[in-house]
Amino acid sequence: MSIKSLILSFWDTLRTPPATISLGVISIGGFITGIIFWGGFNTALEVTNTEKFCISCHEMADNVYLELQETVHWSNRTGVRATCPDCHVPHEWDNKIARKMQASKEVWGKVFGTINTREKFLEKREELARHEWARLEANNSLECRNCHDYDSMDWDAMSDEAVFYMQPAAERNVGCIECHKGIAHHLPEREPGTSHIIAQLDGRAASSLKGGEDYFAYKPVKIYENSDMSTPAGTLNLAAKIEVTQASGDMVEFTMTAWRKNKGYGRVLYDDFGMNTRVAVLERETAQDEEIVTAGTPQMDDNTGLDWSEVKLSLWAPKSGFVADPSQLWEVAEASYAESCSGCHAQPDPDHFSTNAWPALFSGMVGFTNMDPIEQELVLTYLQNHSSDHSDAH
Amino acid sequence: MTTRRSVLKGLAASATASLLGPSVLTRAAQAATSSEGTWHITGSHWGAVKALVKGGKVVEVKPLEDDPRPTDMVKGIKGLIYNPSRIKYPMARADWLDKRENADRTTRGDNRFVRVTWDEALDLFHEELERVQTTYGPSGLFAGATGWRQTGQFHSCINHMNRAVSMHGNYVKKAGDYSTGAGQTILPYVLGSTEVYSQGTSWPVILENSKNVVFWASDPVKNLQVGWTCETHESLPYFDELRDKIAAGEINAISVDPVRTKTQKHIGGDQLYINPMTDVAFMLGIAHTLYSEDLHDKEFIDVYALGFDQFIAYVMGKGEDSIEKTPEWAAEICGISADQIRDFARMIASERTQLVFGWSVQRQQHGEQPYWMGAIIATMTGQVGLPGGGISYSHHYSGVGVPQTGANMPGAFPLNLDLGKVPEHDSSNFNGASSVIPVARWVDMLLNPGGKIQHNGHEVTFPDVRMCVFTGCNPWHHHQDRNKMRKAFQSLETVITVDYSWNATCRHSDLVLPACTQFERNDIDTYGAYSNTGVIAMRKLVDPLYHSKTDFEIFTALCDRFGRAKEYSRGMTEMQWVEQMYEDTRASNTGNFEMPAFADFWEEGLVRFGRGTDWVRHADFREDPELNALGTPSGFIEISSRTIEKFGYDDCGAHPKWMEKIERSHGGPKSDKFPIWLQSCHPDQRLHSQMCESDDYRESYAVAGREPAWISPQDAAERGIEDGDIVRVFNDRGQLLAGAKVSDDYAPGVVRIYEGAWYGPVDASIGALDTYGDPNTLTLDVGSSKLAQATSANTCLVQIEKFEGDAPAVTSFGGPVEVTL
Repeated sequence: MSIKSLILSFWDTLRTPPATISLGVISIGGFITGIIFWGGFNTALEVTNTEKFCISCHEMADNVYLELQETVHWSNRTGVRATCPDCHVPHEWDNKIARKMQASKEVWGKVFGTINTREKFLEKREELARHEWARLEANNSLECRNCHDYDSMDWDAMSDEAVFYMQPAAERNVGCIECHKGIAHHLPEREPGTSHIIAQLDGRAASSLKGGEDYFAYKPVKIYENSDMSTPAGTLNLAAKIEVTQASGDMVEFTMTAWRKNKGYGRVLYDDFGMNTRVAVLERETAQDEEIVTAGTPQMDDNTGLDWSEVKLSLWAPKSGFVADPSQLWEVAEASYAESCSGCHAQPDPDHFSTNAWPALFSGMVGFTNMDPIEQELVLTYLQNHSSDHSDAH
Repeated sequence: MTTRRSVLKGLAASATASLLGPSVLTRAAQAATSSEGTWHITGSHWGAVKALVKGGKVVEVKPLEDDPRPTDMVKGIKGLIYNPSRIKYPMARADWLDKRENADRTTRGDNRFVRVTWDEALDLFHEELERVQTTYGPSGLFAGATGWRQTGQFHSCINHMNRAVSMHGNYVKKAGDYSTGAGQTILPYVLGSTEVYSQGTSWPVILENSKNVVFWASDPVKNLQVGWTCETHESLPYFDELRDKIAAGEINAISVDPVRTKTQKHIGGDQLYINPMTDVAFMLGIAHTLYSEDLHDKEFIDVYALGFDQFIAYVMGKGEDSIEKTPEWAAEICGISADQIRDFARMIASERTQLVFGWSVQRQQHGEQPYWMGAIIATMTGQVGLPGGGISYSHHYSGVGVPQTGANMPGAFPLNLDLGKVPEHDSSNFNGASSVIPVARWVDMLLNPGGKIQHNGHEVTFPDVRMCVFTGCNPWHHHQDRNKMRKAFQSLETVITVDYSWNATCRHSDLVLPACTQFERNDIDTYGAYSNTGVIAMRKLVDPLYHSKTDFEIFTALCDRFGRAKEYSRGMTEMQWVEQMYEDTRASNTGNFEMPAFADFWEEGLVRFGRGTDWVRHADFREDPELNALGTPSGFIEISSRTIEKFGYDDCGAHPKWMEKIERSHGGPKSDKFPIWLQSCHPDQRLHSQMCESDDYRESYAVAGREPAWISPQDAAERGIEDGDIVRVFNDRGQLLAGAKVSDDYAPGVVRIYEGAWYGPVDASIGALDTYGDPNTLTLDVGSSKLAQATSANTCLVQIEKFEGDAPAVTSFGGPVEVTL
């Protein structure tokens, strides 16, 4: 008899009303059984808090447990090891019980084989990881902090690079998981359109967007013609500047001023006249809708002979995906540029070339780097925004 | 190279061994031991090799079985490790050691050197950096001239030198390179990418779709023997397929070249002989035919390009010069008949044609023009972005055209200072001079401090440089006009070179530090620079020879002189770096490409990622030119460029033009005095100047101990020269001895001496006879134009005569003359 059919027959027994036992037997027996069960429950609860219990399921043993064994949380020079419950079970009783209630779902998953193969596990990994990240974000990485403490960090013993990143985080008391996702188990596979760059910037996202303020996209943001997201309008590029006019639920209405070339459908928007720094790509219908996009008088760009028009538009975007200060983007971009573009030669200073020269040079060399498409977009935008057109150096 | 990201990825490092299939590891059996010795695998510019090591010595080097078309140059690798030109000890120039900046500089190049200890040498290095930074500031130091360093991503000496010297102070840097200086500057304005270093259309796509393949000054079968990282040679079997398709009449291949190339001889096909340096005239004749016969694709030009009207006005004689560029006009200059020009134009317009340009043609005066014109011809046919159509500038380079896997490749040792760090001398005061100069103009800089030149839209002011540091490059091979260099080097107070072999740069230095070869250190490398075919382990074969050290050790010790050794090395050893670089790569490929744990990789030697994906260059632009705009100022193909026009240069204007050269053979200027064009293209049996010192291998191709000078039977007969003779090649700039190789692959008026032949002057004087045959003894040192200021090495006329009398011994090899003070 399988576990599944055992549970189903036990369930049948429970839901059948008693026919022969007296009320006294039921109440006194229930009291005594309650005492026994209470002790047993606590004991059982403690058993479920051991690593041995965790890895008794092959789903854990063959996946996350093996991955843990390759990390510093498993083996290190001081011999301190973090086991499953250290990170995944809250130490406070009420939180612990709450977590155990959630865990009953995992038993269900075990019984019905939700992740009983590697493939199924990998498919489900992102959802599972997001649950854990959300829990740790909600408690500001409490389980990490049971061992790690900003106040106890010896900055002198750290590498300069570690200090560079860690000190600002300490000043703002940023939760560990904000930056250290994937530290004990593999990260979920990247979906197309995601990037480690976004993961770095997620922690810096503006939490609430205020009307009348400027914000900057830190990832490609889908935009819409209306607040119910029924008509897609296009995508904002990284570092695109918007001015929020009003918020409605998870959406904000914004205005944007940009420029476009008067050759083609006018789908690509640029940040300034004659400057090929992209800020958005519109759907063809949106781009040609004069009620949404109002275009100014054409002006000829002397460097190409093309006519450009200033455009103003008003659209909707989800609230998530913006930072208040573009320098947060540039910090990440600068580090990525310095690392990725110095493998073969010294990387040129951003202001060595003009805004419109950078796309060609960048596309000519980027094949030698490991940058993903979003990282490429961020670095190119960074270079264009710090080019000779934005500096006095050349 | 390590950011928080890579640390995280390293920690997250992945893929348990049990999850790996057996296919990932190539069972190449690193370290197979038997009584004959131990076979180790390593990588090189010449491909992956196996070396038999016995008793601490490399006894034999063979290509790895994985290599489908090993290069002959593998025969030269053992001699690269063991030869009398290896630098054995740190050496200081005899006249410089005691007097330093006050030393006699006219004796520089006499090759007299004194042995010093490592401690003395590194103290001298540090003292000179200190003196120059304190006295002159950053404008007094030129470093960062770079080249084809030995392979290996950790030990890449360019990165080591730059990081160490940057920790001490700022310095004058270079822009561009010698290989593609003109091309990489002009093409961003025209096609929106450097193109020269870009991936090209996959060979299977070309073989399937092209009716014509035009090799324009391109010799891939010669040049694909070497790669920027470990070369796989996967590109070469495609040339066998091409040969078969040509034989079957399915593809027509034409080589536009003054010389019958190695590629042409391999694949068959036809040569279209063209007078040297006249390609632009030929192409203008083609444009004239396409336009006047209405063969150009007007719709394509209208949608995808700008500036056609201005250009075609010039072609049709409506421009400033009022000369119509008819095929008859072109024929007079380029030596191709008007009918042939018309036929060629009709052919490329009517059938799917892949144009494949090489790089030599842009290493000449006005070298920007033929590349720009090539793009216009391709645009006029309307084939840009079609499978097997359009234009390529890179199919002869590092396996371009082999489908790419998409796997991530190893990073490199950090070239930069770590985040937030500043140099010991943190001055950025360049005394009003430029901090970056176009690389091919650095000798002009030495001769003309404070001078001004135009470069790519802005003005460059030459700094007053007093000291140079060189590593991983040999400027006394790659720069032009040796005698001009000798004069320029008299202005330098201190020249410090780190290298493994005593080349001519060492000879003209003041302090030389011996690095070991790549075969004497542990490293990791990309297998297939463009194909990303795999990752290869480079196991140390033998310990560093003589007193040589790894660049990592040398520059760590230099940084120790100013207390920053730990910052430099991050407190990590060679093997810790190699392992971390591997683990970073493995983590970044997680979920896409499986890689074994480091220990297994190190044992097996090679991880492969399978076949890549076919791809068509410019196809995305063709599909949606608005969304996938080119990187040009307009986003479209710029047949005429207003941006360049506004620079107002007389030698590179609004659109390509035919411009006469300072000197040109076949009836051009100065050809009455020096009638023969000297072509100094990339060698067939070296990598630039690397491996010239490999004695036995050099002897296999040298003629009477000299570098071969390839000459036509007619030119030889007229001068009484026979195959095997020692000849003197000369012009007003210099003279050299070479060994005549008479071959009908060469047209009359054309001689080839491969670049990279080691300079071996008879003495330290300006004008000294070069005893081995370095073509840059003769070449012209002028900028290609005010736009790129690139090398013009292939604009060079010479005369040749049989050398009579006793030829002086070759002085290029065997190291310095050691003296004691």
